[in-house]
Amino acid sequence: MSSQPVLSLDGVEVHFENKRGLLDFGAEDETVRAVDGVTIDIEERDVVSLIGESGCGKTTLGKTCIGLQRPTGGTVRYRGQDMWDIRDGKSQSDLEWSDIRQSLQIIHQDPGAALNPNRRLISILSEPLRQVSPHLSKSEKRERIYSLLEHVGMNPAADFAERYPHQLSGGEQQRVALCRALLMNPDVILADEAISALDVSLRVEMMDLMLDLQDEFDTSYVFISHDLSNARYFTEHGDGKIGVMYLGQLVESGPAEQLINEPKHPYTEVLRWATPDLSLQQTGEMPMRKIDIPDPIDPPSGCRFHTRCPEAREVCRQQTPETYQVDGNGQRAACFRRDESHEYWDSPELTD
Amino acid sequence: MAVEQTRGVPDAMAADDPIIQLRNAAVTYDHGESFVLDHVSIDIERNEMVGVVGESGSGKSMLASAMLDAIPDPGLLEGQITYTPGDGSEIDVLDLDDEELRSLRWEEISMVFQGAMSSFNPTMKVDDHFRETLRAHDADVDAGLERAAELLSDLYLEPERVLGSYPHELSGGMQQRALIALSLVLEPELLVMDEPTAALDLLMQRSILLLLENLQEKYDLTMVFITHDLPLVAALADRMAIMYAFRLAEVGETRDVIEHAAHPYTRALLNSTPNLDAPLEEMRPIEGSSPAPINMPDGCAYHPRCPLATSECRSDAPAFEESGPGHATACYHIDESIDQIPLNYEDMLDNDGSQSDGDDP
Repeated sequence: MSSQPVLSLDGVEVHFENKRGLLDFGAEDETVRAVDGVTIDIEERDVVSLIGESGCGKTTLGKTCIGLQRPTGGTVRYRGQDMWDIRDGKSQSDLEWSDIRQSLQIIHQDPGAALNPNRRLISILSEPLRQVSPHLSKSEKRERIYSLLEHVGMNPAADFAERYPHQLSGGEQQRVALCRALLMNPDVILADEAISALDVSLRVEMMDLMLDLQDEFDTSYVFISHDLSNARYFTEHGDGKIGVMYLGQLVESGPAEQLINEPKHPYTEVLRWATPDLSLQQTGEMPMRKIDIPDPIDPPSGCRFHTRCPEAREVCRQQTPETYQVDGNGQRAACFRRDESHEYWDSPELTD
Repeated sequence: MAVEQTRGVPDAMAADDPIIQLRNAAVTYDHGESFVLDHVSIDIERNEMVGVVGESGSGKSMLASAMLDAIPDPGLLEGQITYTPGDGSEIDVLDLDDEELRSLRWEEISMVFQGAMSSFNPTMKVDDHFRETLRAHDADVDAGLERAAELLSDLYLEPERVLGSYPHELSGGMQQRALIALSLVLEPELLVMDEPTAALDLLMQRSILLLLENLQEKYDLTMVFITHDLPLVAALADRMAIMYAFRLAEVGETRDVIEHAAHPYTRALLNSTPNLDAPLEEMRPIEGSSPAPINMPDGCAYHPRCPLATSECRSDAPAFEESGPGHATACYHIDESIDQIPLNYEDMLDNDGSQSDGDDP
């Protein structure tokens, strides 16, 4: 197997135009910068977790990874080929758009809404098999589905296969959604807050199952979460990396344990503070100057976190930090504080 | 299946200065065949913050609604609920007529639900919500709006901007904070919150918790916080009550519950919770699932999932008894539970109560 990443995003931008309405005379068109200049690679059997607050662009970035959202700038490569060139027929490659789409799957936050309520599980799960292996006989399909259902702990499979989605619990529904995605033999599965709707006590179980099936099916995960402790569990077990997003940009990335224990960006520290643990430390002061995330329509100048950052100085308002390499382990952070000789250190503190 | 049973509050758990006392509060939707709140007794001390923790469908929302006699129809609430305002009088909540109940709610006991968007009227600006509430309770509107502005700035919101907005113009976190301000505008003594932060991201949840702490201090509030997220309230609550299958499993001071959890369910729940410090290989899901009200097992409701269950557990529900100072547990096997179910974060706690850990390099 080559060392080429499955997916490779380079300087990806997704800007949404908010056209002014007929009645908004004089108003300017607004551009929502959902994703702004993100570069990230997803390897074979990789786990990449994206974390950040609501509205930071993590879902948009995830969808861009798997070809559900067309970027307005930058490139998304699938095994080295620009996927949108293939889509537009501009590429000489022998890859087909439908093959790419088939190998990039998604499971959503709300499994109840993702499964057709009028179809039994057997019919829901036959659909991907019909796409991938049309030559399979009915009984072969049935066998494949039963063995997968058993594998995800839904016993007896023959009984479950005849049920409708509403006859399942939330955890079981999510497992069916996972099965359906896996039957497509995907290279990458986007799990968009896939465990957030489950009860706390079921989350670990679901993550274990996803990782277990990763070994079996050789897939990578892009795991979206706002919960650092879930991302830690999933990423560390899957030997992957965490990317921290803020207002459309990747502000820090690195291996899970290292990023959590030694955050190098003040925003990552804020997220760590926000993650409840049982050590009963006093919550203390909020490590942020403002609670609310700024509007992505008109993001702050310079470093986008400067309006809330407890360490912000004048220079953060004027200049945009580049992404600094931290140590050897692939941890990166976009903060002037990682450059010991930067003028940041002589810049006056921001107070407001 | 419904055995008539009563569960009192052990003497040691009785509050010195209770603001509200529940005695055998029970809710049924089928005339006593089954209970979605099964004879729960608890005292809430004045000015404390109590976290009520349970899985979905454990009856925790029923407990919250019972405090205001606000069980959704056609539920039937029985038992004794006594509200004690600061002036020494006692009010029997279940004995109030509609008019008295209306003024008890919001003016004395106020409630915040999850999903702020469905609590606001989308066609009314936020300030009209405040005006309407003040008028409905015959309060001084101008003074009330001033208080509203102060509450909003306590919650890190810009009063003018928020009051002049429609609910949909605010982000989820801002809506929820505006709703908390609205719930406090009539200066209630007790604030009951049912998953007030559930639909928000973690950072906003934690920020709101911190603000609630400040509000509690500033306005001398008593707070009851209902959640399924144990670690979230752990940093905030003075006491925690763990619910399982419509009954209380364990009540105690937060630190005590986390360090010396006595009920096997509490210990399993603590171990199943992903957290940043516990060794990863020791997080365990709880096997099995919790029972539905019509399917309540005999005896201790947790026995089908409990590794320590004996024949006693299968036949008789354990009484809710004192298991330590200010700590009560409904379990026959407390010693075995502490002995045989290790907590996966125990190493972290062993430094004898000195809680310096985590951030230090």
